[in-house]
Amino acid sequence: MRKHLTLLSDYFTQYLKVRLSYKGDLVIAVLTSFLATVLALAFVLVLFSKIPTLQGWSFEEVLFLYGFSLLPLGLFNVVSLNLYDFGNLYIMEGKFDRILLRPVNSLFQVIFEEFRLESLQEVATGIAIVAYCSVKLNLSWRVQDLVLASSVVLCGSLIYLAVFLSLTSVSFWLEDRVGLVPPVFNLLTFGRYPISIYNGFVQFLLSWIIPFAFASFYPSARFLRRRDFDLYFYLIPVVAGLFFTLSTLVWRQGVRNYQSTGS
Amino acid sequence: MFRVSEVLTYLEFARVGFVNILAYRLRYYTGVLTYSINVAVYYFIWKAIYAHSSEIEGFDLSDMITYVAMGWVVRSFYFNNIDHDLAVQVMEGKIAMDLIKPVNAQLMYVSEAMGESCFRLFMLSLPTLVVLSLVFPLKGPADWRLLPAFFASVVLAFFLVALVNFLVGTCAIRLKSVLGLLRAKHFLIEILSGLLIPISFFPGWAQRLMDFLPFQFIAYGPLLIYLGKRDAAGVARTLALQLLWVGILFLLGHLWWRSSIRKLAVHGG
Repeated sequence: MRKHLTLLSDYFTQYLKVRLSYKGDLVIAVLTSFLATVLALAFVLVLFSKIPTLQGWSFEEVLFLYGFSLLPLGLFNVVSLNLYDFGNLYIMEGKFDRILLRPVNSLFQVIFEEFRLESLQEVATGIAIVAYCSVKLNLSWRVQDLVLASSVVLCGSLIYLAVFLSLTSVSFWLEDRVGLVPPVFNLLTFGRYPISIYNGFVQFLLSWIIPFAFASFYPSARFLRRRDFDLYFYLIPVVAGLFFTLSTLVWRQGVRNYQSTGS
Repeated sequence: MFRVSEVLTYLEFARVGFVNILAYRLRYYTGVLTYSINVAVYYFIWKAIYAHSSEIEGFDLSDMITYVAMGWVVRSFYFNNIDHDLAVQVMEGKIAMDLIKPVNAQLMYVSEAMGESCFRLFMLSLPTLVVLSLVFPLKGPADWRLLPAFFASVVLAFFLVALVNFLVGTCAIRLKSVLGLLRAKHFLIEILSGLLIPISFFPGWAQRLMDFLPFQFIAYGPLLIYLGKRDAAGVARTLALQLLWVGILFLLGHLWWRSSIRKLAVHGG
């Protein structure tokens, strides 16, 4: 554990040195990333200029859903880059051989070899949106609420990690050309709206097959005092633990199956 | 203006674009799924909204579902990656190879994208259209006689997207990290083209602002023709403005590229 923490800080320092040597570049990356986050919100803003509520959910509530969904996603995005590039970078270009030669967990290395610092912007923006909506909706946050929120946000990141890690592991068996990531990635949009607007199939899919609802909607609903979803809220750590364990098993099986391209 | 041999050169680039993308044909099966998922999200949102009102801004529920679904079908055709490809070429230093070719870089990139779009039309747009019309209650074209105008408008939308992407991709020469910019542009076009929500839903000041921008002619323009919400004069106006913007963007791209390559620094390669 200690060794891994030291390694993590080394990886991060190394990354930071590279990023900070191009400061202007980092500033542009943060600004454009922020712009993208805000633009993704534009649909909701325009929509609510024409309608008062979305199936009983007010503008501030839907805004809250979006803001809260940014928290686990932003954290996950800080480390997600290598997962998306894994097939190309590690399998096709053979970088994975190097990983296997080192006496450290392979997944640990792949995840922390690269960061995306600018994604922390999403977390900050998310906090700002949640704070704004909380004031507008008169939601009070006690210390224990903040602790609870932080824990479910971490669980949410773990759920995203689990889903995309499972998809990444597919590259051990299939070429990356299949492109399984985009359809799943687009499912993330579903998580930004009240789950009750979807039909039973979509609700089931988002809860039990690709459990994005446990990462964003169910936690938000609880903090918005929507009590109908409390049961799901308490299941968040269970779902996160279960799916994460499953995904590491798939990964391990993939590593066992790995045959180098020889390059 | 162009000699036949020159046109043939660019046709060859289009062929290369078509063939390159063949290698990734597996992706297009999941592509149909991706596009259907996008339509599904907005289908449910609009369904929830129209539960309380029968008409908003002249759109009823079936108009809106058709608008959204056809919007994504059309997008599957006009979409291209010129911006991303250019950025990668710059980052890997391969852009030097583009410069030694005795061709117009902008036309080369647009031609390649055209080849890709021909491929997309058959492998992505048509299958997506079939799937969507089986799953969702879509309306046919309001007036079959306007169908050629709709197709022309979609082709012009392709040029608009390609030229905007070329402009943005060229920024990679000056900026080191351009990927954030590309992502921002992606969302900018999604919202300002009217793909996610019709332009008439925007507040008045935003609509007036957008009249000075080319983006609404990427999705909103063609889709209103399909839905029959434009009369003959309106259709002609849309097509004329699309053509005008293609011209302006081509010129801007040309100038921007010429001034950018002077700043280009390639290390070895």
